[in-house]
Amino acid sequence: MPLNRQSFSSATLVRLSAYGAFVIVILVFAVEARGFLSFINIANVLQQSAIAGLLAFGLTLVVLGGGGNVVTGGIDLSVAATLGLGAAVYATLIAQGQSDLVAVGATLAVGVLVGIANGLAVVRLHILPLLATLAVGKIVSGLEFVLTQNSVVTATSPGLTWLAEIGPLDVPIMAWALVIATVALLLLVQVSPFGLRLHAVGAHPEAARAYGLPVGPLLFLSYVFSGLLSAAAGILLAALLSGSSPGASEMLLPVVLAVLLGVVFSRRLVPTIGGTFLAVLFISILGNGFQLLNISSYWVNGVEGVLILFVVAWTTLSQREAHA
Amino acid sequence: MVGLSLTRVAMLGVAFALVAGNSAFADGDVPSLKGKTIGITSIGNEHYWNIKAYQGAVDEIKRLGGEVIGLDAGYVDAKQIAQIQTLIAQKPDAIIEELGTAAALQPSFKKIVDAGIPLFTLDTGTSYAVNTVTSDNWKIGEELALKLVSDIGYEGNIVVFNGFYSVTPVAIRYDQLQSVLKYNPNVKIIQPELKEVIPNTVQDAQTQITEILNKYPKGEIKAIWSAWDVPQVGATQALVAAGRTEIKTYGVDGSPDIVSLIKEPAQPAAAVAAQQPYLIGKAAADNVARYLAGDKNIPKITYVPHLLVTKENAAEAQAQLGQDK
Repeated sequence: MPLNRQSFSSATLVRLSAYGAFVIVILVFAVEARGFLSFINIANVLQQSAIAGLLAFGLTLVVLGGGGNVVTGGIDLSVAATLGLGAAVYATLIAQGQSDLVAVGATLAVGVLVGIANGLAVVRLHILPLLATLAVGKIVSGLEFVLTQNSVVTATSPGLTWLAEIGPLDVPIMAWALVIATVALLLLVQVSPFGLRLHAVGAHPEAARAYGLPVGPLLFLSYVFSGLLSAAAGILLAALLSGSSPGASEMLLPVVLAVLLGVVFSRRLVPTIGGTFLAVLFISILGNGFQLLNISSYWVNGVEGVLILFVVAWTTLSQREAHA
Repeated sequence: MVGLSLTRVAMLGVAFALVAGNSAFADGDVPSLKGKTIGITSIGNEHYWNIKAYQGAVDEIKRLGGEVIGLDAGYVDAKQIAQIQTLIAQKPDAIIEELGTAAALQPSFKKIVDAGIPLFTLDTGTSYAVNTVTSDNWKIGEELALKLVSDIGYEGNIVVFNGFYSVTPVAIRYDQLQSVLKYNPNVKIIQPELKEVIPNTVQDAQTQITEILNKYPKGEIKAIWSAWDVPQVGATQALVAAGRTEIKTYGVDGSPDIVSLIKEPAQPAAAVAAQQPYLIGKAAADNVARYLAGDKNIPKITYVPHLLVTKENAAEAQAQLGQDK
């Protein structure tokens, strides 16, 4: 992203105000909401962020590789559907008496397959990611429907029970899962050759191609990772729900919001794992703090909507500026 | 999910219902909730049943001087679980849980009880609850089935929506239909049974019924049965559109739209077993107040009476259900 001095300073301003808003929100909750800073509440927030976090990390990779244009850039709208199918596959296999090992393998394989479908549609067929992943998401939801008959599948297994438990240092296993995934993906995206190349592809696809980077395969891989992470989130969901139940699609909007919002937390205003992590926490904290303050949960939806409008409007404007 | 999501714990042998008019509904002797905070967690407040039950509980807690922490999970199980987790940390004096997926909620219920918070539920069966307020789904299923077979002269084919047998109240209503049909062998369910869906229940039911009407000409179907009333609305609309109003529809829940359809003489909607969700919510709040005041004789289950709404009584039923305004 070629930044002249003026847009650089406006970018810094946006980033600082994003951090400022985050800090102010936390301060207000810390002062006003009883128990907000308690260890158990913070552990709760981390645990509650795990599923959205994994989905948002997958989406971050896709947006990073495809570029940040809200309409034509990289996006994966199938993440929530893959989450639902993943949980359904896991729960169904366990309910049929399969082991956790088999269920983990099958669930992750399903996620990879969804990623391959998305990747083929976008990279090979050159369908706009917005539409390609929307269509694939629709198919994936349909598969979940066929598998579960749109009803609840109850499943308990040693693996699922373990995932729902409290782990080392009194921190829930799912919170640990989020922390570990964050560190692993930070390394993958910010340090590994794959991550650095993906950055280049997203920022300057033409230059990356001229330089000889395998643009298509890199994009393809980003969708595969997204599918894989969504399916992994599905395993966490199956643990949380002791099985699977319809309604995973509701996760899509908060996850898209987290990735868009994460952009304003990053120095160069591109999607980053750290930014996404902060944004996911921010959204969880909003819901958590509002509940602790006994403000109606309906306000959270409103605030999420306003945030999306704000972030999308701002990205669109800044892109227009950059092209002018 | 429209007053259906009860996975009830074993409660066979409860042969009689505790009904309105007794102490469960008298306002005078309900202790105050002053200084108490009650958390209410609902799976979602979009359907008539859910909204009314929620309002009934909130209004009653406030009337008794208590504070409400009201939570709506927007029909997302994971969100309801997260909200309950945070709610436990808020240490309310009691928690009322409304609907939701019983199997998914059991671990959360255990956490509530482990935290020393008494749990009350609306329609969600669990051994962790001090009390569950619900309708008597055995009677509902029986009355509706008996009305149906009587209306069609104890013979003929009927179409049945059976998409949510996994939900216990639905299963109870369906089983009651089957046991009535067992002794009325001339009434047959057309196979395969239909499966309704959520969401887009009305449109989907319309489509399914329109297709089946094309397959079975006039005279071959006498009635359509569903375990709740949203498919019934779709089925009724499809019958009117196809000019097949000789077929009658039957359902459960009694939202205002189906009750007013039944009231119209020309509409093929014949009967609905109407629940009283507002009273269900109110009864839960009253049970909370009694329990917190030290009453340890709260029954495990409180049944709130339902009302079989038919062409004959629809107008009075509307008034009785508070739907005439």
